[in-house]
Amino acid sequence: MKPNCLNSRNLMNTEHLNNEKDTFLAEWLEGKLSDTALKSLVSEADFNAFLKIRKGIETFEVLDSSTDASFEKIQENITQKSTKVRKLNPNSWLIGVAASIVLFFGLFSILGDDMITIETNYGEHKTIALLDGSEVILNSKSTLTYNEDDWESNRTLNLDGEAYFKVKKGSTFTVETQNGNVNVLGTQFNVNSVSDLFEVICFEGKVSVQTKNEDYLLLPTNSVRRINGNTIEKWETSGANPTWIHGESSFKSVPLKYVISALESQYQITIHDKDIDQKQIYTGSFTHKDLNIALKTVFKSLQIRYIEKEKGNIYLSTK
Amino acid sequence: MTKDQDNICHSKTFESIYRKYAKDLRRFIFYKTQDIDKAEDILQETFIKLWDNCGKVNHESVKSYLYTVASNTFLNIVKHEQVVRKHQQSLVNHTTNESPEFIMLEKEFMEKLDRTINTLPEKQKEVFLLNRIEKKKYKEIAVQLDISVKAVEKRMHLALLVIRRDIGNI
Repeated sequence: MKPNCLNSRNLMNTEHLNNEKDTFLAEWLEGKLSDTALKSLVSEADFNAFLKIRKGIETFEVLDSSTDASFEKIQENITQKSTKVRKLNPNSWLIGVAASIVLFFGLFSILGDDMITIETNYGEHKTIALLDGSEVILNSKSTLTYNEDDWESNRTLNLDGEAYFKVKKGSTFTVETQNGNVNVLGTQFNVNSVSDLFEVICFEGKVSVQTKNEDYLLLPTNSVRRINGNTIEKWETSGANPTWIHGESSFKSVPLKYVISALESQYQITIHDKDIDQKQIYTGSFTHKDLNIALKTVFKSLQIRYIEKEKGNIYLSTK
Repeated sequence: MTKDQDNICHSKTFESIYRKYAKDLRRFIFYKTQDIDKAEDILQETFIKLWDNCGKVNHESVKSYLYTVASNTFLNIVKHEQVVRKHQQSLVNHTTNESPEFIMLEKEFMEKLDRTINTLPEKQKEVFLLNRIEKKKYKEIAVQLDISVKAVEKRMHLALLVIRRDIGNI
């Protein structure tokens, strides 16, 4: 036996019986001593055990490393194949929505009117199935108008407010708004055109945006926005569809006044904001389910005090 | 509110499920595949499947769903590999360590190793973690702890001996 050999007996008393000066295992782990060299220093069982321990230690780190990279790949994969339209949430409001669609189509076919207008009230969403199989989800306090008669040849809609479109492939699909037009062939995108705010987010396919001055071509996750006639801003979005579909409104660096008007159209309230700075920028989201939580999330973070003086009237003031 | 948060089709819910289970699931798959790249592939496939079926999977049963899908995906891969091997006329079971370089890391071994490292004497553990986890060279550790490089190496050496002793027959 070699002098340093670690047979099982002296392993049991490692710290006393081993040569105090030994450091060869440290050198081996660092790579300064080769496996073959180690093999000649210890018994075969020990050698195999050390190899396994080394591999085990390396694997620990790998197994504990971040899983973010895989998540990115999963998201890529999901967005690539999301042409397969996902089933909508089995939320209770859908039944109401379905009922109102039936009602609308029924009503209009009786009246024999070609122009169809669909409006949503405070806090209401509507899902509209178009003749070609395309789908529109209309956010609250929005209006959508289109001509049913020549729909097959002329897929043009007029929108005031916010809506999410899932367009079946076919002829050009145009969304007209006061702030500009959006043209696509088959894709999913969100358009928000409320007074002087204009925002288009592309979730799939290609979207062409025409404004008075310029045209833009959006690819998935691209987005353009114009606030109050300023120059167009571009940014990237994440997520497979707009958050408001899931009962939440999200904002990214938007002047507070647009957040306030979104709150008003969601909850049928009036917010009196003359005592605060409406130009301050807000990033965040609010829920559509509970007014108090929504007010808290928006205004607490900006350190704005809010009081409901009379029913449906919220007054804002700075602290 | 809770109903909406529990819906897996909600991308935020999906992400939070991923954050909650991904690491454990990857570990679980690794013990089967013994290959971290394959484990990552199966992890991704499993979560893509979850997304495809997000409307059908109940939030309460998502964990067992993930583990079942991952196991099945693994078994399918093994099946496929066996067919390939049969074709190549070399039927070697993937999970036996017949090749000399292949070292199988069982779950029990890894858990034991973890426990052993955690019960190392404080001084050895300190050096060991600085070197293995924080990737510091012996020299850097010596400077940090204000001891000689030789002392660092001794502690490292002892740490390995203690681990070897505690881990016993493997």
